[in-house]
Amino acid sequence: MAQCVQSVQEFIQDSFVPLVAALCSEEAERLTRKNNLGFSELVKPFCRLTSEVHMRDPNNQLHVIKNLKIAVNNIITHSPQPGGIRKLLNDVVSVSQPAEGLVTNVITAGDYDLNISDRSVKASVPWYNNWKDTLMELNTSTFYSATTPWFESYRESFLQSMPASDHEFLNHYVACMLVVSSGEPEPVEQFLKLSQEQHRIQHSSEYAYPKWFIPNTLKYYVLLHDVSAGEEQRADTVYEEMKQRYGTQGCYLLKINSRGSNRGADEQIPDPWSQYLQKNSIQNQLISRKGLSRSLFSATKKWFSGSKVPEKSINELKNTSGLLYPPEAPELQIRKMADLCFLVQHYELAYSCYHTAKKDFLNDQAMLYAAGALEMAAVSAFLQPGAPRPYPAHYMDTAIQTYRDICKNMVLAERCVLLSAEILKSQSKYSDAAALLIRLTSEDSDLRSALLLEQAAHCFMNMKSPMVRKFAFHMILAGHRYSKAGQKKHALRCYCQAMQVYKGKGWSLAEDHINFTIGRQSFTLRQLDNAVSAFRHILINDSKQPAAQQGTFLREYLYVYKNVTQLSPDGPLPQLPLPYINNSATRVFFGHDRRPAEGEKQAATHISLDQEYDCESSHQWKELEEQVVAVVNKGIIPSNFQPTQYCLNSYSDNSKFPLAVVEEPVTVEVAFRNPLKVPLLLTDLSLLWKFQPKDFSAKHNGATKELACGNDMIGAEVIAEFLINSEETKMARLKLFPHQTGELHILGVVYNLGTIQDTMMLDGIDPSIGLQAGKLVYNGMSVRGRQDLEIQGPRLNNTKEEKTSIKYGPDRRLDPIITEEMPLLEVFFINFPTGLLCGEIRKAYVEFVNVSKCPLTALKVVSKHPEFFTFGGNTAVLTPLSPSASENCSAYKTVVTDSTSVCTGLMSSASSVNFGLGTGSQPEVIHVPLPDSVLLPGASIQLPMWLHGPDEEGVHEINFLFYYESIKKHSKMCHRVLRHTAVICTSRSLNVRATVCRSNALEDEGKGDNMLVFVDVENINTSEAGVKEFHIVQVSSNSKHWKLQKAVNLSEDKDYKLASRERGKLCFKAVRCKNSGENYTFADIVFGNEQIISSASPCADFFFRSLSSELKRTHAQSNMFQGAAKQSFDEAVRLIQKCSEVDLNIVVLWKAYVVEDNKQFILEGQHHVVLHTVGKEAFSFPQKQGFKKILGNSDWEDLEQESPEMVLLKFFRPENTSLPTRPTPEQLSNLIKTSLHYPESFNHSFHQKSLCLVPVTLLLSNCSEADVDVIIDLRHKTTSPEALEIHGSFTWLGQTQYKLQLKSQEVYSLHLKACFVRTGVYNLGTHRVFAKLADQVTLFETSQQNSMPALIIISNI
Amino acid sequence: MAVCIAVIAKENYPLYIRSIPTENELKFHYTVHTSLDVVDEKISAMGKALVDQRELYLGLLYPTEDYKVYGYVTNSKVKFVMVVDSSNTALRDNEIRSMFRKLHNSYTDVMCNPFYNPGDCIHSRAFDNMVTSMMMQVC
Repeated sequence: MAQCVQSVQEFIQDSFVPLVAALCSEEAERLTRKNNLGFSELVKPFCRLTSEVHMRDPNNQLHVIKNLKIAVNNIITHSPQPGGIRKLLNDVVSVSQPAEGLVTNVITAGDYDLNISDRSVKASVPWYNNWKDTLMELNTSTFYSATTPWFESYRESFLQSMPASDHEFLNHYVACMLVVSSGEPEPVEQFLKLSQEQHRIQHSSEYAYPKWFIPNTLKYYVLLHDVSAGEEQRADTVYEEMKQRYGTQGCYLLKINSRGSNRGADEQIPDPWSQYLQKNSIQNQLISRKGLSRSLFSATKKWFSGSKVPEKSINELKNTSGLLYPPEAPELQIRKMADLCFLVQHYELAYSCYHTAKKDFLNDQAMLYAAGALEMAAVSAFLQPGAPRPYPAHYMDTAIQTYRDICKNMVLAERCVLLSAEILKSQSKYSDAAALLIRLTSEDSDLRSALLLEQAAHCFMNMKSPMVRKFAFHMILAGHRYSKAGQKKHALRCYCQAMQVYKGKGWSLAEDHINFTIGRQSFTLRQLDNAVSAFRHILINDSKQPAAQQGTFLREYLYVYKNVTQLSPDGPLPQLPLPYINNSATRVFFGHDRRPAEGEKQAATHISLDQEYDCESSHQWKELEEQVVAVVNKGIIPSNFQPTQYCLNSYSDNSKFPLAVVEEPVTVEVAFRNPLKVPLLLTDLSLLWKFQPKDFSAKHNGATKELACGNDMIGAEVIAEFLINSEETKMARLKLFPHQTGELHILGVVYNLGTIQDTMMLDGIDPSIGLQAGKLVYNGMSVRGRQDLEIQGPRLNNTKEEKTSIKYGPDRRLDPIITEEMPLLEVFFINFPTGLLCGEIRKAYVEFVNVSKCPLTALKVVSKHPEFFTFGGNTAVLTPLSPSASENCSAYKTVVTDSTSVCTGLMSSASSVNFGLGTGSQPEVIHVPLPDSVLLPGASIQLPMWLHGPDEEGVHEINFLFYYESIKKHSKMCHRVLRHTAVICTSRSLNVRATVCRSNALEDEGKGDNMLVFVDVENINTSEAGVKEFHIVQVSSNSKHWKLQKAVNLSEDKDYKLASRERGKLCFKAVRCKNSGENYTFADIVFGNEQIISSASPCADFFFRSLSSELKRTHAQSNMFQGAAKQSFDEAVRLIQKCSEVDLNIVVLWKAYVVEDNKQFILEGQHHVVLHTVGKEAFSFPQKQGFKKILGNSDWEDLEQESPEMVLLKFFRPENTSLPTRPTPEQLSNLIKTSLHYPESFNHSFHQKSLCLVPVTLLLSNCSEADVDVIIDLRHKTTSPEALEIHGSFTWLGQTQYKLQLKSQEVYSLHLKACFVRTGVYNLGTHRVFAKLADQVTLFETSQQNSMPALIIISNI
Repeated sequence: MAVCIAVIAKENYPLYIRSIPTENELKFHYTVHTSLDVVDEKISAMGKALVDQRELYLGLLYPTEDYKVYGYVTNSKVKFVMVVDSSNTALRDNEIRSMFRKLHNSYTDVMCNPFYNPGDCIHSRAFDNMVTSMMMQVC
């Protein structure tokens, strides 16, 4: 229970004091009214005696009474009305409130720190001792420091206002004061009159009220004299007369001074002491009377003891509460005696009397009387000095139960509980006290229940181990009852105190409930800020409430908020709690929205907020930009380079201030989340910003004006309505239009928060239906507020300090710098295909539009796949410039050929420099050929663009980065970029394989080498994309050293057709051509009527591009190998290897006949095969370790798809690689090419001459660049008997071994003679050729294999 | 049979709480929360020496007009509180005890889940089903 100012004993004593009635004459009343007081109020401060009072008990022993208090009341002749009492109590409680603004005590109980006390600790005393005392006091008060003054006031008023009852005498009047003014004409007469009136009130049946203790009430005569008004002498005279008439003991002259304060206050004022002394005499008289009555009572009791039962049966009047005794019944007399003893603090005697009375009453089954006696017996037992017996709590319990259940008298029960609880509390029986208090809470009085529950709650707090949760729970119950009783402030206080226990402990349902109640109570008490914060709590914590409840919460919150804002309409906008904003998900986009495709025109994809962030692709874009910047800056990336970021998100680098361009919108995407189960409607949603204009072109900008607003500088887009459905995450895109350069800071969002009519929700109708119908039922309840966007940067983790502490870097996403005008490029693609065959060539157009007010220049494209597209070389000007004119036109540049020159190569030559692929340049960066290399504001240009389907089938994403600059240079932004991602789906077409072999034939002697090129073309298309058949229309070669000369095995039908899964073989003869420096020689073998000029765009473009990317690939693969080779590889080996190298590139040009929707199209395309090595098969697209040959095609696809991009890591040092220190025999055999020339059949007449001599010429040709020593050994190598059989039949004549030295590229013919002895078929290829480089000693000497059998037929004539 | 079953963490915040008449959820929350005082009292009353060998089942915590509240504390000070309808006289102490044991086993299973983060609210279907069965089961 809360701490009381009084001790328990004092409290009980003060609760039962002798009552003295006061009866004033009219004049006396008037006199006291001068001071605005009634008589009883006038004497009230003096009602506690500071002196001792002596009393004799029935045994004539003297007792000393200390601190006796009496109560003086004016006589009121009607019993108090219950309604009046209730109102009085209510007022008492509501007036007594905890003082605000005081320092509160913190009570620590377990894990909880509770602010419960309203009592301030006076700790402001500066002296040490006092400070120490205060500290001690604080320490001792940790358990017990809450006061509840309203409860004490209530209790006091309750006890005072108790109506007098017949079953007890404690609040019966024991005496009556008759008060007469000295100013009256006949004061003595007046006394007589008053005395008569008192008698009449007490004894006439007219008045049942007030009750009097004894029939002949003691009277005390007071003459009131106003010193300031009346004659002193007259008063004295009257007083003397009174004394004579009523005795000195019963009279008093009370002098009061009603003057204003201008005279000495203490002059003539009667000493309060004397007044108390006079009252002592009242008591003494009373005692003497009592003694008398005592004897009388005992006498009557004895007298009646024998015949008590019949007496009672006459008198008893049964009612619900048992008996009703007549006033003079002896049992009542004992009770009266006990009460008297109690009033004069003779508790021992009182107890025994009560005890006796209790037994009597119980015997008579007079329950009301018995309960009263039990109650007082318990109290007097407690109050007995020295505590001879323990406090009989069960007496109290019985009394309470009887009062409540049998007598239905809640008032008496309540008194009982108040007393008992206080006593139990003083004995630290808090749990019992709490139980008692809780038991009395009932439906009939909310105020009482509330007060008692609160006290019970405090009891739980004060237990040895404080029960904090019980405290909180009962506080809530108390708060509930307070609120029902209309005590709003108390209710709020209770809930707030309970809140401390529930707050943040995970009991969200309870917490929400309390917060909601606090919010409501605060609102009714006009504590709007509290209300707002309480409602805010309910809404922002993850609420587990059902939707309807949340709707209520939200509506209340909005209503309260509206009230708050109406109070201060000019105040700063409040921070709204809803909806949630995921700050880190905020994205910022600079630039215009992407224009949708217009007809055939397809805008560059660029970048937009609709695209998801992809780490890999953003890295690619960055790489591309770096590449192009490096090219622009002559190979070096400037140190201040930062990649252009159009879209900032949580993954982008936000450590630097982003750049935006004036007059181009800044879009901020804010991620809202509605945590509630009710939809939220935001209206008039826009961004909040701050802008600082700055002129970046001027070098000095001294004064920068800070302008928070000004719509002429920044335009802001407003979203009129933005609905977020329940538990939905929704993005809002808000735009700002900067019209000036400067520094922009986006601070947050501002909006009206509202909700839609909840009836829709309750009916179970999806709110979005309302939205679709276009009539959003808006219930008008909305408040305007803001939410700030605060983005935390990434955690820093670079230095040691940053690693050990938690530091975050800045995030400048929302602080763009608005720079001056830049050109803005838009790119459209016309006729851009989505699907291609592998290797297909398609012509499309690109339109470049400058939509800004600045001219743009230095337009470049960069892509990782330069082999995919070309803008044409310098020859491109010849093609039609508009897409409409180019329809049904071949993508290639063609020339009609005459049919005679079919099989021979048509030659032309071109340099790679013409196609933008000069040495050292980055092939990825492609210069866009703008006329005059400038695009003026508003101007647009269409350029042709050829596309080459990638060689691998599947979906290809190809990234283009367009780079451009402004003509004017300025510091902040050097260039701009535009992105485009093309998605191309390719389907299989042809697979080209080619091998090159040395031709053994040495025709055109002296001209050196010739070779055979075998081209194997397979149609691997399985009628995908409606392809019917492929026609090979031309095969071209290009090389620096070789050219195709003619087709070898061409069939009669010139048309080379390949249906699905068909394979065709072509054979060409290639010859060495004159070396023309860096230029490539193109040779075209045409199978149709039209020659495609392979040295012109686009054929050559794609060839060069694929060549360069091929070179890049092989270069990357063999980089290490070559690096080592340069250092340690023998020059000789290099030379030998070079012999078997060719640099022949084959281009197969084809046409595909496609039927689609019953229409026939012709598609064109080309495949490239790069031949490096003699005898080694090369493919049109890179093979992966030749698996494809082993596995079937379909298996291969599976493998390809499944095989992850993982390879076994090999760790080795480059110098330890197993380099071929010796050239392979195969390579060596390519050093010297040999061929035998002889007649195929030789007729000889063996009859005439038995020996047949046949001349044979052995042609030796040095293929290498160096001198070679050659040894020719003609001796048969008889290793096997089989060989012997064949070979043994002919012999070489003459020298059997020759030693020769062949110069580089030299052809030497050796004339030999073979000798045959009989007819037959002979193999002449028995010779062995050894070769070694001339300047080497014995190294690498190896036999030249001559695998070809050279058969000769010798026949007899 | 049980009308409300709650699992309370050592730090006295709810890990799991479910009650059958859902409209009265708030009331049960308050009841369970208040009962924790009694649990604390019972534990502290036992004294240090006895804590190790004490019985986990705490018995009846307190009766209200309509309900009886029973408690159980694991060795790691996780509390189980069960609210039972007062009118259900079929439930003896032994039944309550076995119900708590079942609850404890199921809770241990939840704890053994490597994906469960101790201290988080329990979202386990198995545990849910077990609690449902204890609430529905008619003796």
